[in-house]
Amino acid sequence: MIVGGYRIELEPRLKSPRWLVYVVPVVSLLFAFVVAGIFLLGTGHNPFTTYGKLIDKGYTSYYGITDTLGLATPLICTGLAAAFAFRMNLFNIGEEGQMYLGMIGAAWAGIVLADNLPGVAAVPVVMLSGAAFGALWVLVPAVLRARLGPSETVSSLLLNYVALNLVNFLIFGSRTLWRDPSPFPDGQLVADSARLDRFGTTNVYPTLLIAAILAVFLWLFMRFSNYGYETSVFADSPNTARYAGMSASRLTVSVLLSSGALAGLAGSMYVVGPAGKVDPGLLQVGLGYAGIVVAALARYNFVAVILTAVLFAGLRVGGAALQISSDPVPIAIATVIQGAVLLFALGGEMFRKNRLRVRRIAGSPVRGAA
Amino acid sequence: MNASPEAVKGSHRSGGATLFALSARSVTKRFPGVLANDDVDFDLAAGEVHTLLGENGAGKSTLASVLCGLYRPDEGAVLRNGTQVRLSSPRHGLQHGIAMVHQHFRLVDRFSVAENVVLGDKRLSFFIDQDSINDRVSRIAEEFGLPIDPLAVVGELSAGQRQRVEIIKALYQGAEILLLDEPTALLAPPEVEKLFETVRTMAKAGKSVVFVSHKLGEVVDISDRITVMRDGKVTGSVGRGEADTRKLAELMVGREIDLSPRKAKAPAGGTMLKLHNVSLHRDGVAVVDNVSLEVRAGEIVGVAGVSGNGQRDLAELVAGLQSPTGGVITVDGREMNGAGTREMRANGLAYVPEDRLGTGLSPSLSIIDNMVLTRPRGLLVDRKAAGAEAERYITELEIKTPSPHTATRKLSGGNSQKVLLAREIFAQSDTTKVLVVCSPTRGLDVGAVETVHKVLDEARTKGKAVLLISEDLDEVLTLADKILVLYRGAVVHSADSNALDIEKVGLAMAGIS
Amino acid sequence: MNSNIWLITFADAISIATPLILASLGAMLTERSGVINLGVEGYLLMGAVTAFQLGMGFGNVWLSVFAPILVGVVMALVHGALVISLRANQIVSGLAMVIFGTGLSQFLGKSVEGERRPVSIEPIDFGRLSDIPFIGPVIFGHDPLTYFTWALTIVASLYLNRTRPGLVLRATGDAPATVDAQGVSVTAVRYIHTVVGGALMAFAGSWFMLARGTAWSQESTTNGIGWIALALVVFAAWRPLRAILGAVLFGFTLQVPFTLQAQQINVVAPEMVKMLPYLATLFVLVALSTPRARRLLGAPKMLGIPFVRDER
Repeated sequence: MIVGGYRIELEPRLKSPRWLVYVVPVVSLLFAFVVAGIFLLGTGHNPFTTYGKLIDKGYTSYYGITDTLGLATPLICTGLAAAFAFRMNLFNIGEEGQMYLGMIGAAWAGIVLADNLPGVAAVPVVMLSGAAFGALWVLVPAVLRARLGPSETVSSLLLNYVALNLVNFLIFGSRTLWRDPSPFPDGQLVADSARLDRFGTTNVYPTLLIAAILAVFLWLFMRFSNYGYETSVFADSPNTARYAGMSASRLTVSVLLSSGALAGLAGSMYVVGPAGKVDPGLLQVGLGYAGIVVAALARYNFVAVILTAVLFAGLRVGGAALQISSDPVPIAIATVIQGAVLLFALGGEMFRKNRLRVRRIAGSPVRGAA
Repeated sequence: MNASPEAVKGSHRSGGATLFALSARSVTKRFPGVLANDDVDFDLAAGEVHTLLGENGAGKSTLASVLCGLYRPDEGAVLRNGTQVRLSSPRHGLQHGIAMVHQHFRLVDRFSVAENVVLGDKRLSFFIDQDSINDRVSRIAEEFGLPIDPLAVVGELSAGQRQRVEIIKALYQGAEILLLDEPTALLAPPEVEKLFETVRTMAKAGKSVVFVSHKLGEVVDISDRITVMRDGKVTGSVGRGEADTRKLAELMVGREIDLSPRKAKAPAGGTMLKLHNVSLHRDGVAVVDNVSLEVRAGEIVGVAGVSGNGQRDLAELVAGLQSPTGGVITVDGREMNGAGTREMRANGLAYVPEDRLGTGLSPSLSIIDNMVLTRPRGLLVDRKAAGAEAERYITELEIKTPSPHTATRKLSGGNSQKVLLAREIFAQSDTTKVLVVCSPTRGLDVGAVETVHKVLDEARTKGKAVLLISEDLDEVLTLADKILVLYRGAVVHSADSNALDIEKVGLAMAGIS
Repeated sequence: MNSNIWLITFADAISIATPLILASLGAMLTERSGVINLGVEGYLLMGAVTAFQLGMGFGNVWLSVFAPILVGVVMALVHGALVISLRANQIVSGLAMVIFGTGLSQFLGKSVEGERRPVSIEPIDFGRLSDIPFIGPVIFGHDPLTYFTWALTIVASLYLNRTRPGLVLRATGDAPATVDAQGVSVTAVRYIHTVVGGALMAFAGSWFMLARGTAWSQESTTNGIGWIALALVVFAAWRPLRAILGAVLFGFTLQVPFTLQAQQINVVAPEMVKMLPYLATLFVLVALSTPRARRLLGAPKMLGIPFVRDER
């Protein structure tokens, strides 16, 4: 870029300082709060008191933090799902729909299978069922990508809308096994053995621990297993992967299916935990899309996803409280912050990897400015 | 061997003050680690067809780039019609009537010929008058004997036709001087003929043409003058009919044979690698053409040749990354056609590719992680063992790195090459039978070159069968027990290293057998 | 079955094709320069809420028509800065804009939830022309935005295929290095067309408020039409005129659920029928991704790849 008599260029940094890695997400968050704050001001709210309430209701109060941890549970899963795929430059943005299918799959197992299973097995089977349904939902985009090149983005996204209508159909538009027999449109509850009890009076379920352990397990697995190794080579340099005899299509499909399964697991956790049935309420929360932001902010590191998931869950919980507070602020403010954080994180990450070089242009004017 | 007595400095050429259309005076151009042009003089007369002859790294492409404005010389000057010009960009060069046609064409496949030619023409009207531009392009094409249909879609044209489009583009933009970089590299023989006809027509019309090429055999008839370069310097400049091909080949590749070549000390063992009539066709062209060769245990077979003559495809065929369209590849007695690269490796083959960081290594991964890339791995990756190995080789090969956990892209060329060799040659030493190595010392400093050559020599001593494919003739001459020359995908010359006629090798590399 | 109803459905399909065409024209121009902007849905929603809120505030139709354009420009500049100048990942940036745009539009739209539209653009009265059987209601009787869109599509097609800047644009998406070698700024071409694209996308959003008369709903104003618009770009093979055909087809799939509901045809449950546009779009994408189809379609070759000049 030429401005005046100077040429401004982006150059890759040879060594980027380690501390920048942590600074970028934090600063992005701060900037996002500032931007959202401007819109708060614009609509007549005081940003400082609003944020104060947000932090209180989302994090620092007892029911705030527990509600947050409860919401973080499925969010960790969708975050893992996004991180797993995006690390490989496979842009599965259908987590939302895969999560709904997970909910449907888990409910199916919980209604149909659970009574015939020994008590201990019910929950795992239900969770795996949800994961399988989630993986199934990404199968078509996965095959498209493996056979025909980048095409998984819009196709996985479209399936979100199909899944949304599917859930509505099951609860509002039909009388299938997922639907409670009563006249009021509601999901059919799963067997008791397929449910887990909450911790005390909070909204936190043992599924939180499962999610956290899963995150750590994934981190270990990808770091030490051959599969993890091959995916990291493929993500780094496809030419090198080819040279080493790795199968591009096998890796692509398996990563996408795993991603779908993780998103499906989020739906299962919702069923096993708070919902116990197919619940159209899940359609409002946007956990699938939030998972993408959670993953990006965690720089696709599985353990960091736990932290960013709690962070964004808190924003949502706090936002919900704000919506019904004395000076109501639309809950959408949480989404605004989410989007803004991602934008800033993107920009910040590029600054971390590159730096600006400003050079005087000497001598004759250069034609062909870039 | 020094420059022959016939080598003349350009300014004395015509014995007087004739103005040359384009000249270089004492041009020097440096790149990190290499002196590409060393005090080079060059003169091009108007209406002349002048060839810059040399092998890889001779500096001819660099000189051409300086002459057209793509590079700026570190020292020296470029003169146009006797006056110095400081060319800041190719566009600037074009304003002085100098245009370069690159080896890899810069065309938009989707567009028609006419659209490609006029793209970038600032005088073009806002609404494009298709008929008018088709007309203009046709006229130029006819004027210079370049039959082409302005409406044809460029993506559907043959290589020769696309080159014609590039030439028309240059002429349309007002070029008086055309620099053609390896113009026959992508052409089939009949297209080469057509190109030469075009060049003759252009010269008659007063344009000057510079051929940058290594293909002596092709250019000797068409050139009014040939300037030979080697290692960044001009080794000679002769007019039409002044020197024969042998002399020119000598100027091109002539060198003192190294006093301390590394050759096999023990007789070779059994045949480990055999290629019989192996071919690879792509888009109807044979990129590897009926190649037969044999490598025995304890010997190094060197494949020489200027880059772009099928080396990479040949290497990938042997390594199992591509399947031959014809012929048989045998490794240690087993036919390996169509076997993937994993099977090849399991059968004792190791491959050091030319592109070390983009193919042979995973750039963002650590040295340790790269050590296991082509090794058999279980369900878990044993980084402990790999770590110990990495430490060992870092010490043995003196690899300069902050730690074994450093990403390989942070290493210098020489050090990353050492990592690659450590993995392919050392770490698998017990199971490796055949070693395929491509241009292993490209871009390395003298010390690293020494180390690499030592490593290859030792591998030979240990009984490995080594196929060395290198664009660096010196390297092949130093190490190989048997030498083959690759030209347009075919083996055009083969000789034992102790019965070598360097001129024949040079001729073969230049396409004259 | 009343055949008139299907005619009306067809007319409605043409109507809803309008924002589809506008949004996909925007995406198309951007993609022709080599930049992917997935944020369409976000731009649509921001355009819609801007038109609505300004209409509530000022009651001026023109303001509600032009302000969304400005909003689209600003959003596109952010995207451009990230992906062109900073060379960030284009897919993630587009997604971020969807999330941001969705959130911000919901935030700004909360106060007008459920309200009737304040300003509107009425259909043009063509008098007797609309009474012509078949073509009457289908061609005549739409609002000005629809006719403007058709005209704009023709202009876009002329621009792309017959003008010098259009030639440069097409070259930039396929071979930016070639364009750069000719001394033209690839960065400038990409910025200009990303911004124009964003403006069109946001402008398309205003249609929902002004012409369609949708009340602002937190859940479902645009219903994923932005994503269908992206698929439409592929269907139209990156050519403006073909987008019209595809948009009408997709528009049909969007309208059919309403028609069935109005006619109380319940062979298939309404929720399942609502899946139709998305499944149809998916089907089209699958059909268009065979290697043969991809070759025929001709996507810009360097789509999504940042341009770095190879310099020494």
